[in-house]
Amino acid sequence: MSGLHPRSLLPVLRPGAGRRLRRDALLFALMICVYLAAGSLVKNSYYQLMLTLVPIWAAMGLSWNLFSGYSGLISFGHAAFIGVGAYTVALSAAYLCVTPWLSIPAGAVLGGVAAVLIGLPTFRLRGHYFALAMLAYPLLMLYVLQYLGFQEVALPMQREHPAAWLQFADRRMDMLVAAGLLVVAMGISMVVENSAFGLSLMALRQNELAAEAAGLNPRRLKMKALALSGALAAAAGGLYACVLLVVTPDAVFGMLTSAQALVIAMFGGVGTYWGPLIGAIVLIPLAETLQAEVGDIIPGIQGVVYGSAIILIMMVAPDGLFWTVRDRLQRRRPMAPAPAADIAPMRTQVTAFRTEAAGPLLVVEGLSRAFGGLRAVDDVSFSVTPGQVLGIIGPNGAGKTTLFNLINGVLPADAGTVTLGGKSLGGLSLHQIARSGVGRTFQVVRSFPRLPLLDNVIVGAYGAGLEGAVAAESACLALERTGLHHLAATLAGGLTNKQQRLMELARALAGRPRVLLLDETLAGLGHEECDDVLLVLERLRDEGLTIVIIEHTMHAMLRIADEFLVVDHGKMLARGSPHSVLEDRRVVEAYLGSKWAAKCSK
Amino acid sequence: MLEVTDLSVAYGGVRALQGVSLSVRAAQFVTVVGPNGAGKSTLFKAISGVVPAQGGSVHFEGKDLLALPASDRAHLGIAHVPEGRQVFKTMSVLENLEMGAYPRQGRQHWHRARERIFALFPRLAERSQQMAGTLSGGEQQMLAIGRGLACSPRLLMLDEPSMGLAPAIADMIFERISQIHREDGVTILLVEQRVAEALELCDNGYVLETGRIVLEGPHATLSQDDRVRRSYLGLGDI
Amino acid sequence: MSDPSVFFENLINALAAGLTIGCIYGLMCSGLGLIFGVMRVVNFAQGELLMLGMFITFYMVTSWGVLSFLGPAAPLVGALIAGPVMFVGGMMIHRFLLTRVSGLRTTGSADEGHFGQLIITLGISLILQNGGLMLFGSTPRSVQTTLSSSAWTFDTGIGEALLFMNKARVIACLVAIVVAILLYFLLERSWLGRSLRASADNATAATYTGVDVSRAHRIAFGLGSAVTAIAGGLIATSISFTPFSGIDYVIIMYSGVVLGGMGSILGAFWGGLTIGFVQQLSALVLPPQLQNAAIFVVFLLIITLRPEGLFGRSAERA
Repeated sequence: MSGLHPRSLLPVLRPGAGRRLRRDALLFALMICVYLAAGSLVKNSYYQLMLTLVPIWAAMGLSWNLFSGYSGLISFGHAAFIGVGAYTVALSAAYLCVTPWLSIPAGAVLGGVAAVLIGLPTFRLRGHYFALAMLAYPLLMLYVLQYLGFQEVALPMQREHPAAWLQFADRRMDMLVAAGLLVVAMGISMVVENSAFGLSLMALRQNELAAEAAGLNPRRLKMKALALSGALAAAAGGLYACVLLVVTPDAVFGMLTSAQALVIAMFGGVGTYWGPLIGAIVLIPLAETLQAEVGDIIPGIQGVVYGSAIILIMMVAPDGLFWTVRDRLQRRRPMAPAPAADIAPMRTQVTAFRTEAAGPLLVVEGLSRAFGGLRAVDDVSFSVTPGQVLGIIGPNGAGKTTLFNLINGVLPADAGTVTLGGKSLGGLSLHQIARSGVGRTFQVVRSFPRLPLLDNVIVGAYGAGLEGAVAAESACLALERTGLHHLAATLAGGLTNKQQRLMELARALAGRPRVLLLDETLAGLGHEECDDVLLVLERLRDEGLTIVIIEHTMHAMLRIADEFLVVDHGKMLARGSPHSVLEDRRVVEAYLGSKWAAKCSK
Repeated sequence: MLEVTDLSVAYGGVRALQGVSLSVRAAQFVTVVGPNGAGKSTLFKAISGVVPAQGGSVHFEGKDLLALPASDRAHLGIAHVPEGRQVFKTMSVLENLEMGAYPRQGRQHWHRARERIFALFPRLAERSQQMAGTLSGGEQQMLAIGRGLACSPRLLMLDEPSMGLAPAIADMIFERISQIHREDGVTILLVEQRVAEALELCDNGYVLETGRIVLEGPHATLSQDDRVRRSYLGLGDI
Repeated sequence: MSDPSVFFENLINALAAGLTIGCIYGLMCSGLGLIFGVMRVVNFAQGELLMLGMFITFYMVTSWGVLSFLGPAAPLVGALIAGPVMFVGGMMIHRFLLTRVSGLRTTGSADEGHFGQLIITLGISLILQNGGLMLFGSTPRSVQTTLSSSAWTFDTGIGEALLFMNKARVIACLVAIVVAILLYFLLERSWLGRSLRASADNATAATYTGVDVSRAHRIAFGLGSAVTAIAGGLIATSISFTPFSGIDYVIIMYSGVVLGGMGSILGAFWGGLTIGFVQQLSALVLPPQLQNAAIFVVFLLIITLRPEGLFGRSAERA
């Protein structure tokens, strides 16, 4: 395989990805050989065309997957990029006499530019609006091209220089060129999927808020992915134009084109480079053959095939063929023997956390936030010194999680300041605050069930801006600290509830936070499980990590917290040593009601 | 009237309720207290049918509730005032109450019920045309209770009606609940975090901790028991 | 353009056309408003539901001529027949396709479920477009009556400017207004309508009050389909259409709903009306091919700049 030497790409790849990549690259190379060998035997020109379309559509599917598959933002308008590429090639051949060898790369650049221009306003939109806007762009271009009078652009015949114009007399050469395109598309996809970038994108799909709280910049990541995806789609569109020889707005900007790229990827499998390949191999010959055989009698059969394919796959196997088959195979395989101890003792003495200057590390002053008339957090001030563990308690709905959200920038505060090590965090966005050293876990744990534990944890290191070997080292150390290092290669989907909690903790640790905000890390755990996680937390405390923790299980809090801060109705009720706080009448009142408190003090 | 026997609920691999049994007799006031995360709301949701039960049974006036779809249970005369109020934010106060009267017996007695609700909570009458989403927390709680009453229920289930409310408002809400129990003869099942108030009102109380009933008894016994306090603060080891 | 009175004549005729066509757009937007604005289901196949409404009317009136004895009123009756047919069709789509991919059957507003639905509706849209091509052919059709080619003419009294009101369009517009009013009262004043809105607002709470939420969602989807199909039948009298015409209206409908403010049926109607004016007025300055492009640009501007809609906030009522 040309252009892809795993060794030279190692720095951008994730640890452990090299072996997987080599294996997949070999398998793919084999597939290409089989394809070319089989293709060279086909004599019928229609089937030659059909075989040429398979890799082209696979490349379009790959480009869709590169953005939507990894980031989880479904694009319904990839035809915008395909069309840009196709029209660039067609117009420059027809009017400027430029060979596709130049116009395809130029189209790819334009596709990337179009992606950035589309991304700039569109990434501000959420959920449904994003989907609708993406649907609108190619249709808008379609109308504009119709208006400009490019209803039908034919590529002029260039019989004298077939190689220069990609107009080979022997259509088997088309297959070779299409295979070349697919190799490029597949190479890019393979590197992205196994790189820090790809993993960061997947982290966005999993939980954008948590990913940003880990320090990832969602907009930049999405923009990069869309630009890459747009460029690839445009390149595929350019070659598509060369093969079809005639370009019409409906054929390249139409809704069916967008849908086709999406269907191919979703049918085969989302979020894996094998998906679009499988999708194209199954669907393109099916649709094209039906179109050729019965298209005259039953027009529109192609659209019906794609429509049915997508409905079928969504109802039967929403993740696509690849994952469904793989999950089934994995279930059949005998389970790996369960590790003897599910939390391993530490192997070596790990280095303590970085030493901070004396004096308060995290200072919160006068923090307030109201939702409508409800003052969720009202003038809260406290400070945490390095190495301290502060427990925040209070009844349901007291505003504890909102307080965390204000500290790490999930929500803007109405008033008040937060400083970390003397530096103000005011006005910084969520991921910037994370990068300055505020780590955070959330009540809901979300993992990449199909990726190994190490990959799940290393995202935290990438979020903090660590790269390559440093990131891997940080992730390994975090696994060691949480006692999960013996499970590094286990798929996260197979972890127990407790291990998932610890994984979340490890992910936050991998970013080397200066302060860790823990939101109900023990929720939903049984007694013994609680004890195990507490042991880990105690160990972290003893190593000098600064922690602010929200927790309901009071006996757990008594074990690890140096001090309690009691919050009720958004206000601070009390602060002090755990036992003094629990005897405080106002605290008993907040938890049990005023009458109970009155009775106790009697 | 309501018999819950050996009810178990689990979601996402976490066992939220394990073999919970409790009984409510007609015209009784029964309270369930327990620390956060003990499974109180899950108990209510299982009775109402919005979370499925894994085992055990729930009978209301002899009918097997678990065999009925969730939406049919309201028609039997059970009203559930959910945690966090859950009013219909985009509908007016009056429309929220009308929605409460959706079951057949509610529509029959709608006019009388409306008079009663407005008598209990005059504030709702003043704001009857206002969007529910623009009400304050206390007003939304009144509306949620009013919506529950609108179907002229025989059993009123209230989930943490004092949550997030200022003490004075919470006291007023408790006063109204007690009034509804005394004057309208509605059977009440209450889940509360304010133990003292809740236990004071009740005939019978249960303490729920990590999905199990750990204490039960008449209110006089429970309110003297320090184990309630320890359980509530999550100090454990009962 | 140079002559002010010609410009004035063009302007008032564009306004009149905007009003008549806008009311029909308003009706189709009300249908989508129920599905997208209220229930938050992005239905890409909404344009195809409209297209089916057009073809049902076409077959009733022109092709099979079942209704031809009704004379000029035939298209209106045909459109009204498309309503119940698509009500059942919409309920079936919801029952057998949409609820199979998400938790909408009970409660649910998880984003993933919604994306599943979105993709399913894309599949439905492809099947209906291309299935329509198989059944109806690609020849542009229209539903013509004697009224389609006649107009009421009014003298505006300013210069020589005359106002032409196409009779078929005016009548279709009036029917659209009546249907929209009926829909409004159904949603606002009936137990059924309230239960539909309550189910969309807070499915769990609606269940507590005794509403069968999955049934309510199904009925709402059917109702939205029916209303849009009726609008399709009404507009069929003044345009020509093919099985692929739905796509042109999808963006019109979404623009109207978003413009009017999500969750508000009345807003959706005003939004559609506004889009009608925008489209007709843009014809004064833009070539006809770019009219749809203008609407797309308006749509993109609205969702980027004012996603809460021009007419009030999304939390406001129907």
